[in-house]
Amino acid sequence: MLIAALALGTFAIRFGGARLGQAIPAHGPVARALNALPGCLIVALVATSMLSGGWREWTAGAVALAAAVVTRNVPATMACGIATIWTLRHAF
Amino acid sequence: MSSSSSSGGFFAGARDIAPLAFGVAVYGLAFGLLAAQAGFTPLQIGVMGLVVYAGSSQIIATQQWMAGAGLLASVLAGLALNLRILLMTASIRDLFAGQPLWKTAFGAHMTADENWALLLAARARGREVGYAYLVGGGLTQTACWCASTVLGVVFAKVIPEPKALGMDFAFTAAFIAIARSLWRGRPDLLPWLVSVAVVFGGVKLAGAPSHWMLALGGLVGAAVAGARRDG
Repeated sequence: MLIAALALGTFAIRFGGARLGQAIPAHGPVARALNALPGCLIVALVATSMLSGGWREWTAGAVALAAAVVTRNVPATMACGIATIWTLRHAF
Repeated sequence: MSSSSSSGGFFAGARDIAPLAFGVAVYGLAFGLLAAQAGFTPLQIGVMGLVVYAGSSQIIATQQWMAGAGLLASVLAGLALNLRILLMTASIRDLFAGQPLWKTAFGAHMTADENWALLLAARARGREVGYAYLVGGGLTQTACWCASTVLGVVFAKVIPEPKALGMDFAFTAAFIAIARSLWRGRPDLLPWLVSVAVVFGGVKLAGAPSHWMLALGGLVGAAVAGARRDG
């Protein structure tokens, strides 16, 4: 029951979004907002995961950001972030 | 949809998601461990991964279920966490334009944080990727998620904690990198700052649940961008 209800609800959300997107006009303020939405959601996502972190997480976040700016590469940034957090948690 | 629906798009999506799928697998093992404690069988968990395919909501719903929250409260907790996916599938509407209903339904079901963000990051770099890229990443990740959660249930006794390996930070780092590639320049600054401020303000000052503030922060930031003329 839990699985079926969660599956149905989650699918309704995903499919609803895809249909909703088709109904929105291609130009104007709503379209501009929709274009900006992905970036805003991603930084909000990063913000929520940093919220619960202490100085180790924030340091690792800063290292990851520097790695992202320099390398522009997802795996390289992940490697730098994980290596930093692992080192900080084991050294301090 | 000539170039974007080619097999190259599919395999490019599968290849790009590989490092993230590794992180997903670590989480899958940890979730399998939790699910075993909640009394789920490997088969149930495999089916759950396939039909729900939204890891964090599966974890929350299972935790609530174990804590005796009841069916309705457990499902609602999981669904609240998934509301952001509505905004995600809406934001890639061009992928679903003119597609038959079953392809829209399938593509929507395959949309998760990781392959959605990678699709946008690839586009920001000028790569022509579309529906096939999204589904290629989605199917790869579903396979990793289902397999690892089932293994987690089966080998529940011998699995290390992801946090001890630093793997809990894997996705934060990945999304920082993806945000970097979505950065289009100065006009993004204000909406992004507003999004972050809404999340921090809502959670720290008002004590609101972070999954609500995530969706609200994204929406308010996007509204700021929409209200301006230079967006």
